[in-house]
Amino acid sequence: MGFFEVSHLTKWYREGAPVLDDVSFQYDGAGAIGYLGPNGAGKTTTLKLLVGLLRPSRGRALVNGLDPISDRKAALWDVGSVIETPEPYPTLNVFEALETVGRSRGLERDDVDREVDRCDEWLHLPPLGMRIGWLSKGQRQRVALASALIGDPSVLLLDEPTSGLDPAERVIVRGVLNRLKRDHLILMSSHQMLEVTEVCDRVAFLHQGKVLLQTRVDEIPGRIRSRQVDVEFAEPVAADKVAALSPVPSEIVRISERHWRIPFDGSNESRARLLRLCQELGPVVQFTGSSLLLEDAYLELIEEPTEAA
Amino acid sequence: MTTSVTAPELSGGTVRAERHLVSDFEGWRIITKHQLQHYLRTNRFLGLLGFVFVISALTLTFQISTGVATVRVEDLYHPSEYTCNFLNYAPLWIILAAAFFGGDALSVDFSTGAGYYMLVLPIRRSVLLTGRYSAAALVTLAVVGLYYAFAIAGTAYFFGGASVPWVGIAQSLGVAALFTLATLSVAFCISSSTRSPATGVLITILALYVGFTVLESLTELAGLEPWFSLNYAGGAIYSVLDTDFLHKQIIPLGASQSYYIWSATVREGLEIMAAYVAVFLPLSAYLYHRKESTG
Repeated sequence: MGFFEVSHLTKWYREGAPVLDDVSFQYDGAGAIGYLGPNGAGKTTTLKLLVGLLRPSRGRALVNGLDPISDRKAALWDVGSVIETPEPYPTLNVFEALETVGRSRGLERDDVDREVDRCDEWLHLPPLGMRIGWLSKGQRQRVALASALIGDPSVLLLDEPTSGLDPAERVIVRGVLNRLKRDHLILMSSHQMLEVTEVCDRVAFLHQGKVLLQTRVDEIPGRIRSRQVDVEFAEPVAADKVAALSPVPSEIVRISERHWRIPFDGSNESRARLLRLCQELGPVVQFTGSSLLLEDAYLELIEEPTEAA
Repeated sequence: MTTSVTAPELSGGTVRAERHLVSDFEGWRIITKHQLQHYLRTNRFLGLLGFVFVISALTLTFQISTGVATVRVEDLYHPSEYTCNFLNYAPLWIILAAAFFGGDALSVDFSTGAGYYMLVLPIRRSVLLTGRYSAAALVTLAVVGLYYAFAIAGTAYFFGGASVPWVGIAQSLGVAALFTLATLSVAFCISSSTRSPATGVLITILALYVGFTVLESLTELAGLEPWFSLNYAGGAIYSVLDTDFLHKQIIPLGASQSYYIWSATVREGLEIMAAYVAVFLPLSAYLYHRKESTG
């Protein structure tokens, strides 16, 4: 099982505010952790520090108990990563690019073949003889993901792993990650809240270089007020009637004739009132805020970081 | 804020392949092969090889058709003098090849996504560097080898196959190999200090060829030996074949003034080259080790 730890981790590039400011967390065992935050929050910097692409200004980052700067080989032996946009040489073909990774992780030649076949089966890789330079962005991203998975390392550090993938490819990758998290430790930064909800067991919210909240995904409803509800009626409902349900009708989203997304202030009283009003319009099939819960949490934490922390 | 969370272990994992921690030697082999696969398919390798082929073929064709190789071929005392003359451009080809293959060998990790692929492998950066260095040396020697093939062909044409100075050519090739390592050490050092691959290639050519040539001329004008110059040391590649070698030539320029032309002895050349390897290779390893992927 994997393990990683950052302790009082601080990183600044030049004079001024640190990109990462005294961040500490540790995870071990198996599971998927969503690492969330706006652009510039320090997510990619954390991942780079964990694989030794950057040096900490203060504090330390350890993977499987080892320092990736001073003990690079042993520390990274059981770590797969996709950070930024990994680009194998465009002159190599898909197999050659993956073979180098597999061999460097200590696979024998025959095992490399088997591992590449496994990745191909999971990720639907482009033809193995095709040169990297000829691949589309999505195909390259799948090769990059395969490079993280080959040799089956126990820790996976993934920076926006589905970036550049089409919806069908995203579904495939989410399926793979859901399967892997049973016996791997995955730290995954993402802007795709749906993806994080579907894949991750835990989340850490990062804002302006600081961790604001670490929690289990299923504990978020108790900590964060959802400020939107998805309402599904049994029958179509007129737009003007739905508009009367919210003090800000312009922010109501019509998903279908029967399905609406309605903003409110997040309080339980308002939520109960809104449910009652909806039921007056017609039979309600579904009334939930869960699909946007992470997004709500994300926005609430960013808007009120001090209060939330 | 420190939170330790241990997830429950769930069943249904994957079957893991047997793996081992690769030794530095294995890592070196993996990276050398990887880099060679890349270099051998690049346009710059194929282009440089083609360019050396065309220039060498034209040179030989001209010599055969006119009978002139710097001086008339029949005026040369020994076949090795012809080979020595032909190999006069060997340092230039080596500098060009070293710049092409070494000038961006390390900077590519910090200017493109290549670093996010290679620098996260469980291989020390020093091993990554030596693997790339070895591959760059091999492809540079492949280019140089083609040039030597033409030198041997010309010697055999003018003096007969039995007259080819094999021992001298082997010694020259040995000196060329050390010169290759020295130029690549400088190129790798420049590459580890720059971010743009094109800048690394350009600075390497400017430093090794233009810079050293200018400094050498200025030093010789002052009557001093340019012992600091790698370009100067490169002369040992062909002077090892020279049967009429002069370390220092004095050309009178009139009233109490002379111009000095210095040529590195083979031993001196080897020492300068070895010194460049000893200084610049560890320096590039240090700079590469310290460099961060901030982009």
